[in-house]
Amino acid sequence: MNTVIIDGLSFALPLFVMAIGGIYSERSGITNLALEGLQGAGAFVGALVAILLMEQFGADSQLPYYAAMICAMLGGMVYAMVHAVMCIKFKANQVISGVVINILAMALTVFLTKAINRTVFGEPSDKFVLGVSAKWTIPGLSDIPVIGAIFTNIYPFEVIIIVIAAIAWYIMYRTKFGLHLRACGDNPHAVDAAGIDVAKVRFKAVMMSGALSGLAGMSFAYSISANYSSSIYVGYGYLSIAALIFGNWKIMPTLGACLLFGFAKSGGYQIVQAAGMPSAYSDLVMILPYVLTLLLLVFFSKHNNSPRALGEIYDKGKR
Amino acid sequence: MKTKTNPFSKLFVKIIGDGKRQKFTIPAFTIILSLVVGCIVIAILGKNPFSALWNLLQGSGIAPKVRYAGGKSQLTDFFSFMNYWTPMIFASLSVAVALKAGLFNIGVSGQMLAAGFITTITIGYSTLSAPIAKPLVIIMALLIGAMVGALIGFLKYKFNINEVVSSIMINYIAEYVIAFFINTKFVDPVSRQSKTVSDASRLTLTGVKIGDLKIDIPLGIILAVIVAFLIKFIFDKTTFGYELKAVGSNRKAAKYAGINVGKNMIMAMAISGGLAGIAGATYYMGYFASIQPKVLASTGFDAIAVSLLGNSNPIGILLSSFLINIIGTGSTYMSSAAGLDAEIASVITGLILLFSACGAFIQYRVKKEKDKIEDAKKYDRKSDGEEK
Repeated sequence: MNTVIIDGLSFALPLFVMAIGGIYSERSGITNLALEGLQGAGAFVGALVAILLMEQFGADSQLPYYAAMICAMLGGMVYAMVHAVMCIKFKANQVISGVVINILAMALTVFLTKAINRTVFGEPSDKFVLGVSAKWTIPGLSDIPVIGAIFTNIYPFEVIIIVIAAIAWYIMYRTKFGLHLRACGDNPHAVDAAGIDVAKVRFKAVMMSGALSGLAGMSFAYSISANYSSSIYVGYGYLSIAALIFGNWKIMPTLGACLLFGFAKSGGYQIVQAAGMPSAYSDLVMILPYVLTLLLLVFFSKHNNSPRALGEIYDKGKR
Repeated sequence: MKTKTNPFSKLFVKIIGDGKRQKFTIPAFTIILSLVVGCIVIAILGKNPFSALWNLLQGSGIAPKVRYAGGKSQLTDFFSFMNYWTPMIFASLSVAVALKAGLFNIGVSGQMLAAGFITTITIGYSTLSAPIAKPLVIIMALLIGAMVGALIGFLKYKFNINEVVSSIMINYIAEYVIAFFINTKFVDPVSRQSKTVSDASRLTLTGVKIGDLKIDIPLGIILAVIVAFLIKFIFDKTTFGYELKAVGSNRKAAKYAGINVGKNMIMAMAISGGLAGIAGATYYMGYFASIQPKVLASTGFDAIAVSLLGNSNPIGILLSSFLINIIGTGSTYMSSAAGLDAEIASVITGLILLFSACGAFIQYRVKKEKDKIEDAKKYDRKSDGEEK
């Protein structure tokens, strides 16, 4: 039971922060299917910085870990600008742009990982091996039965994510910028009439989604395999999109969806292990989040109201 | 006020041309642009970009290699190029049919895998003779792919589920479920892949001796070209094709015009899935004869690039798939000859994708520049008149 909660949280929280990024972008009116590529590209930058720093400071230092998180956010942000430029300046189809960005991210990072490993580190390898992340257990609180598991073996990124999620929530619902952002997704003409630059707001929102996705990608890299390779592209970006649709483009309900995915995944693994089934069966368990996504979408997609101007190219002259 | 037109943009507008010509010039422009960027990347890596591109052509059997192993020649290379080209054409047509109806089928790889797997275990492992088995493989793959595709269309129409999300989910579900069945039931313990299919059911004739050459002949290529023209015909000359395009360009207008949007969406996805199914058959039971578990074919994703580049036009796709396929098949030879990672090929494909997604923008800019030039002309004429 404890492992279900511990593993579930470490999977659900990165998913959640990525979904927040998606909410920012989509509430501003830009469909963002690029989350998958953004998290991979961000994590690539973070992982690269981490291993470079690890050579400097040794494997025991915790500095590379935090530097990696920050750089992953920056990397994701810069890469997200490609999506923003495509959608806002070049008026490309947002769905196509998102998918293209995912494919390009995968091709680029796989290629660069290999090339950098060979030229810089002189070894033929297709992954960056990261250090093992520290884990925190809060004394006292962790002794409470059941709930205590929440405070046991926490990855530091989980704390970072919770803090960032709180800030993101505040910005979205309590600041002027958040108001403008939400208005851009529903009625960009009104925003424009109020003298606010729609393109600028949207650009910022997409960059924000890149930063949050980068953080999520880096967290996955540390928690799932402790290395960076092409195995980071397993569709978690799409999973978080499903979560935000299920959460009706609102931050708190989306958290619920992400927790559901997280516990479904860790619970499934636990069942396979408890029943002593051979490892091939874990492949079957792997489909749980995906099946769940489809089922949830079947029940919730129709009643949801997406931002009204979502996916529309903003054209000043159009009424 | 006199609007200035710079000579560079004037030249650009002239080259791109208008209307019909743009269909060729804009994709050509994006290809050249991405090749240039690709070349820059290769040059940064310290390799000669031109010899790398030449290696791509050599690896595809279009340019002669320096030396050939026994039983091989440029012809065998070109036939193996066509062998890989076949599934690419079907997959790209699949993407194109969906795109015409305004849908984005990114699940081609999953549909290929599902169709390839089920035909493998039913017909591939049977003892049917070739004249029965081969057509049966194609029909079965078509039906299975169509079923998966129709499901995605149905989910979109009935439950308003974004087809991109649902098809990605189905991709992963297919990938893992099929990996499970292969690993538990059909695995070949040596290769760690599914057991090879019978030669009678395989859509590629392997090792056919012509003179002293051993050639792999893909039977599907003929079908692929026929299907491309057939789809072109459906798009241009049938009511169904017209309705499909209407739904694709404006769903609401199509609905008001009395077109059954749901039926058309589901039909489009079914056809798209069916084509993906045939792509799967020619891939897993033609180019390969077995399935590697937990791997989705990259063909399904490259097909998106091909289709965008070819403007979703079946004949354009024949051309653009030829090009993308050169990059795909030539990359292995290039990586050994030039010492570059084969992954650079997918980077170049990705760049082509990125630039072709901007096609609409180029069109828009050309139009704007042209208006500017015409305005300037008008102004000149007017001021000339005033002087007289």
